[in-house]
Amino acid sequence: MEILTGIRSDIDFESNKKLIDDGLLESLDIVAIVGEFNEEFDVEISVEDLLPENFNSVDAMVELITRAQE
Amino acid sequence: MAFTSFYFLIFAALVICVYYSVPKKGRWLALLAASYAFYLMSSPRTFLFVLFTTVITFFGGRYIGRQNSEHKAYLQEHKDRLSKEDKKALKASVQKKKRQMAALILVANFGVLAAVKYFAPFIEALGVGKIIDLGILIPLGISFYTFQTAAYIIDLYRGKIEADSSILKFALFVSFFPQMVQGPISRYDQLAGQLYEGHDFSYRNISYGAQLVLWGFFKKLVIADRAAILVNQVFDNYDQYQGGIVFVALLLYTVQIYGDFSGGIDIARGIAAMLGIDMAHNFMRPYFSDSISEFWRRWHMSLSFWCRDYIFFSISLSKSFGKAGKRLRSILGDRVGKLFPVLVAQMATFLTIGLWHGAEFKYIAYGLYNGGIIILGLLLEPYLRKLTAALHINVEGTGWKLFRILRTFFLIVIGRMFPRAASFGVAIAMFGSIFKGGGNFSGEIFALGLDAADFVILLGGCVIWSIISYRQEKGIKIREDISRKPLALRWLLFLGAFAAVVILGVYGPGYDAGAFIYRGF
Repeated sequence: MEILTGIRSDIDFESNKKLIDDGLLESLDIVAIVGEFNEEFDVEISVEDLLPENFNSVDAMVELITRAQE
Repeated sequence: MAFTSFYFLIFAALVICVYYSVPKKGRWLALLAASYAFYLMSSPRTFLFVLFTTVITFFGGRYIGRQNSEHKAYLQEHKDRLSKEDKKALKASVQKKKRQMAALILVANFGVLAAVKYFAPFIEALGVGKIIDLGILIPLGISFYTFQTAAYIIDLYRGKIEADSSILKFALFVSFFPQMVQGPISRYDQLAGQLYEGHDFSYRNISYGAQLVLWGFFKKLVIADRAAILVNQVFDNYDQYQGGIVFVALLLYTVQIYGDFSGGIDIARGIAAMLGIDMAHNFMRPYFSDSISEFWRRWHMSLSFWCRDYIFFSISLSKSFGKAGKRLRSILGDRVGKLFPVLVAQMATFLTIGLWHGAEFKYIAYGLYNGGIIILGLLLEPYLRKLTAALHINVEGTGWKLFRILRTFFLIVIGRMFPRAASFGVAIAMFGSIFKGGGNFSGEIFALGLDAADFVILLGGCVIWSIISYRQEKGIKIREDISRKPLALRWLLFLGAFAAVVILGVYGPGYDAGAFIYRGF
């Protein structure tokens, strides 16, 4: 969560469930987010994981990280 | 066969009639027949190029798809017996096979594209001489269908979609006629299913589609082709003009290219809509953007999203760039180091967008100009934020937003010089001539092929277009809004628009109304 608000302080990540579909997050944000995730959680999120549904909400992102950690 | 020709309208009407009269199950076959007929009528000598791409992409895709499903099945079957390392090794070996095949197909398809589109101009630029007459040899729609099939292969490689099982259906996906002239570049998961399933006849689809076609003709024939007269006059004889005239021509070119391209897309999407098919959007009122990066999310969207998904993300998220970024962080500082992969990816993306238009240096300059502005914006962002704070500018206010929109529009207008001017050198010379004084603006402006009435029509058309765009920007669905109006008013509107296209459209002799700018790309 801290990572997300650090990248885009203007977005309410908590309540928004359509971050990508509504065009809130841009491609630059995504790259920054993935970069931070990879570093912070020691995972390898790659291009193949870049589906809108993986980044639409905080829950989806948490799920993505958990899957990548397995 | 041009979109704006009378024959094309007859052809499209015929296709729609046939489509709804054959049994539902065979409707996709009717579309395939129509698409191949369209291609053979428009560009018969290059039909083999389309067949080549269709066949190799189909079979290559099947191979990759088989790797995906076999890998999945194997994992499912041996779930409990495989260690983490086994799984990793297996994945790597499958990836390798998939990568080899994907690379083979991509190199073959892009190789053909490069050969017909880039090699000849390159030879010409070297001064060896004009070896072939390009106009005849470039297959219709090759940039569009090559990118579309590349997306299919990469999506398969990434495991996002499943391989198509019917070569005839796949042939339709590659050659669907409305997208052949100037796109949009569709995605397999978004378009293919819609093409293959038979759609029911619906009055709403026909009416909404026809309205979109009519609007497309209005933008193309009334606005773009009228603006083109002045634009061509000035750009073709650039050494004769200077000062305000050059700027007006550049401004009108900005209007022309948008009307030309988006008009063509509206015609394509409208015809598809009449067949019950919803094609990808390509424009989202780009001139309302408040930054250049937003502009590229609203202009030629199917190309910029393609570049985003297959170039930008591929580079910026690749392991080697991530590592390089980390190393750079210790040298250049946290911020720039972090930005490094993004900057490289951004530049590669815009280089591709530039090169997509052609191999000449002016197109590369166009890409670099746009990429450069975005990168500059990224690098300067913290300083600009400090500046706006120091100047007490309300960054949330309407005034600031309007300033940003106008500033972005101005940058776009300037950038348009590169692709339109005859060459990079000419573009620079024309920039210089804007600032040269002299010339008789009011005397010259009406001597460029457009009289006062033409300017009034042009301005009126742009005002109507702007009002419609503004309403769309506010979330109003124009066609739904029209459908709620009384019957008489609705038809008055349709007939008025139709009359406007017929009477005010530019069809002068010697002027090729059908030649869309993006058809050449």
